[in-house]
Amino acid sequence: MVPDKNDVLYGSLGMLVLQTLAAIGPLHGYRLARRIEQISDNQLTLNQGTLYPALLKLQQKEWIAAKWGESETGRRVKVYSLTKAGRKQLESQESRWHRTTGIIDRFFKIPNEA
Amino acid sequence: MSKVDRDLDNEIDAHLAEAVEDYVARGFSRKDARHAALRDFGGVTQVKQVHREMRSFTFMNWLDFKLGGRMLVKYPGLTIVGGIAMAFAICVGLVVFQILSLFIHPTLPLPQGDRLVEIRVIDLEVNDEEPQILHDFLQWRQSLRSITDVGAWRNSSPNLIDALGDSRPVPVAEMSVSGFKVSGGVPLMGRVLVETDEQPAAPAVAVIGYEVWRTRFGSDPNIVGRIVKFGNEDVTVVGVMREGYEFPVAHDVWMPLKTALLDQMPRSGPVVVAFGMLAPGESMKSAQAELTTVGRQVAAQSPATHQRLEPFIRPFAMMTSPAGDPAGGLILYSVYVFTAALLILICGNVGLLLFARAASREADLVVRTALGASRGRIVAQMFAEALVLGGLAAIVGVIAADVALRYWGMGFLEANMGRLPFWFDLSLSPTSFAVAILLTTAAAAVAGIMPAMKITRGMGDRLKQTTAGSGGLRFGGVWTVVIVAQVAATVIFPAVVYMEQTIMSGIEDFPAGFPTEQYLAVHIERDYAVFGANTDAAALERNARLAGTLEELRRRVEAQPGVAGVTFIASVPTTGSPQKIVEMAYDLDGGAPQANGAEPPFREATVGAVDPSYFEVLDAPVLAGRRFTAADAAAGSRVAIVDQGFVDQILQGRNALGQQVRFRYPGKAPRPWSAGNAADPPGLGDWYEIVGVVPELGLGAPTRKGRAAGLYIPATPNLFVQIQMMAHVPGGDPMTIAPQVREAAAAVDPSLRLVSLQRVNEVNNDVLWVTRLWIRITVVLSSVALLLSLAGIYAVLSFTVARRTREIGVRVALGASRRRVVAATFRRPLLQVTGGILVGTSIVFIAAILIRNTELAGFENELTLAGMAKVIGYGVIMLGVCMLACLVPTHRALNVEPSTALRTE
Repeated sequence: MVPDKNDVLYGSLGMLVLQTLAAIGPLHGYRLARRIEQISDNQLTLNQGTLYPALLKLQQKEWIAAKWGESETGRRVKVYSLTKAGRKQLESQESRWHRTTGIIDRFFKIPNEA
Repeated sequence: MSKVDRDLDNEIDAHLAEAVEDYVARGFSRKDARHAALRDFGGVTQVKQVHREMRSFTFMNWLDFKLGGRMLVKYPGLTIVGGIAMAFAICVGLVVFQILSLFIHPTLPLPQGDRLVEIRVIDLEVNDEEPQILHDFLQWRQSLRSITDVGAWRNSSPNLIDALGDSRPVPVAEMSVSGFKVSGGVPLMGRVLVETDEQPAAPAVAVIGYEVWRTRFGSDPNIVGRIVKFGNEDVTVVGVMREGYEFPVAHDVWMPLKTALLDQMPRSGPVVVAFGMLAPGESMKSAQAELTTVGRQVAAQSPATHQRLEPFIRPFAMMTSPAGDPAGGLILYSVYVFTAALLILICGNVGLLLFARAASREADLVVRTALGASRGRIVAQMFAEALVLGGLAAIVGVIAADVALRYWGMGFLEANMGRLPFWFDLSLSPTSFAVAILLTTAAAAVAGIMPAMKITRGMGDRLKQTTAGSGGLRFGGVWTVVIVAQVAATVIFPAVVYMEQTIMSGIEDFPAGFPTEQYLAVHIERDYAVFGANTDAAALERNARLAGTLEELRRRVEAQPGVAGVTFIASVPTTGSPQKIVEMAYDLDGGAPQANGAEPPFREATVGAVDPSYFEVLDAPVLAGRRFTAADAAAGSRVAIVDQGFVDQILQGRNALGQQVRFRYPGKAPRPWSAGNAADPPGLGDWYEIVGVVPELGLGAPTRKGRAAGLYIPATPNLFVQIQMMAHVPGGDPMTIAPQVREAAAAVDPSLRLVSLQRVNEVNNDVLWVTRLWIRITVVLSSVALLLSLAGIYAVLSFTVARRTREIGVRVALGASRRRVVAATFRRPLLQVTGGILVGTSIVFIAAILIRNTELAGFENELTLAGMAKVIGYGVIMLGVCMLACLVPTHRALNVEPSTALRTE
């Protein structure tokens, strides 16, 4: 169950994308992938391709928006940004995450009675 | 490649290029950088594939339709049954739409057809149309500004006598010349009518239609200028209209509406229909406003006649539409509602089948939900599948509708309405195809969305709880109702067929009491009313002349070789003579009303007015007394002959001879028998003495309930309401003398109109035709209902067995007998089928009781013990048929091997 260095926590990629966009602002795909890896201090490495279906899903749910723009190197890239609905979703995910980890945390803190 | 695909390619390219730049900046060679970037990204092709799949989950796409197509092949039984059912539903919907369109929003195939109006007058006092509007017509023509080219026509049908001496009535419109203008009538030859033709002194002229020109004058190129005979009148043909021109309604010949005719007192003169064209810039509303004003002015001038009259306009083509009056409109719309209900029922059944099919793919659907497919997505996909099936069905349905309309539609309307207006057209139009598409979509929505909604309900929960196929899904109450209704329909429809068959054989086997195939019936039409309030001396004199004419006609027809005798009757036998209420002298106390004021018993006789020679020509045996003699027809003679039905039902076996009978409601008409109707004020009629008894000779009709009690009154045929001449041709086909009869009639009096000539045994053919058509419709309906029932029951059972395979396996493994397991599994479907059959037979039973007490003929003897046994026996047979659908699933359930069943999960 311990996350391997190569894995992104199952089902949490969407949340990571939302949080990254919320923290850093609009980003294009490659920069987003790199940021997620950097923020995790390279503990997490993405199979960067998997980012795109996740981005599409977030778009379909209207949590993020995309428009064509320019990268720092002058390339034509699709830039993703957080929507209002996405911010709301992020807030609720965050609180749920804290609650869940809090509960699990308590189990790890059960004193060993044996 | 789609734009979205191109965008994704560009995005991935940019991603990789950015990554390469990064690696190069970190000191990688460009080649190594490219390699590393691709490694970080993972499979580019797979990402594109996943992306594409995810996109296709957003809305319905061609993949759904492709899958739908594949499903059709994979489940051929469902494709055939569901396809036939949907095709039938679409066909019925389209046929009903086409026919009702003719009445609800008819369109005139004329250049400005939508601006052509009919002007009519309503008598508010009696809430009915006032037909004598010539006085008003002149006012309208002079004063209306918002309606131009105001014209009128009146119908007549004089005999057209052609070069060969053939004399037949033709529908003539005596029409204002503006009729040609508003209808865009262009002659093929010669000219149309002009205003000078309308002058009183102008010579008699006519424009003939293309069909008349072709069939009656052999397309004579020199017809223009020829003088032809219309009845007694010599008329010059001045033009021939182009093919298809039948304005105003269904007319073949046009003559001028003479101005001399127009000058009439208010509410008098001949019956005409007025029309006009909305002036440019005017609407129905503004024209109606002006017409109302003019109507008020006329009412102010002639308050005595016009106080309660109000003129109205309506679109010209609406004149044949019952949609205008509330009752007719209600009937039309209820047909729509009925059709919609039928459509929903049939498609609901197809939905049941699709549901069962989807249930067998539950595993697939659950997996797709897991992959992120939303409920809407799965519903959309099932809708697409139904749409593919519906599309195929629509092709079949539209073709079937076209065939049905072509072969039976017009015939059906003609049988009910006579010759149809020229704007009646049942061929499929772009609108029809739009309706077909709409119907298909609606059908697919019912058949696809309904089951999809049901199957996807709580899909998320099923995803967590169970493995697919082990029983998350259930057939709910809705489907129970559908199946019960369906089985009930399966039971009812054949009962309706049986009923229609009974009616038909009732018509076919109706006893006339004489060899009808040896008699020719000739309907001679009279065009003037001699009886009633408007009778004048001239009409009476004309009528007296008619007696001589008919006598001469009889003499000439009798002289034809092969003719044994000629006689007259007011209604051809087996078509139903009028029914009148009579009183018997013995009911009353010596001829006076009963002393205690009690109503005399209700006695209804079927009255045949006949020429004195009638029984002789029919070779009818005399059971008692005598036949009529010529003297009996003389004014003041008061004798009658009754048939055996009268003796049995009214006289109750009394000796008929010498009995006195009279009509209870003698009308005002000066006919010797003075038979009015119950709406007339009661009065005392003359007593008639019964002088003879004959067998039953078909005075009633197969479409009437019960046995007729026939009462014959002698009279000369010129006094009949309708005149039917009957010629006896014992040695052959009576139709062979038809040309000679026409010739004789033309020679005796060219204005004598012979409307129809037919064998007496064929007079009910039109009724038979319509009945047969109904039988065909019901047979198709029953077949579809039966097919759907069986398929539905089969689908439900298969589904049940599939869903409970594991359970059956466990039970059998635990030692339960297979018989008990099967019984438990099939309890529910069995209950549904039995319920349906009970409902169906009950409806048939109740309907039989109701029908027995109504006017429908041929059923009074049906609800006997034998009849009930038939209904019950039939229900048992239907139960057996429905159980056939259970055979395969039962067999499958019985063969469930516990080991196999348990391994599959």
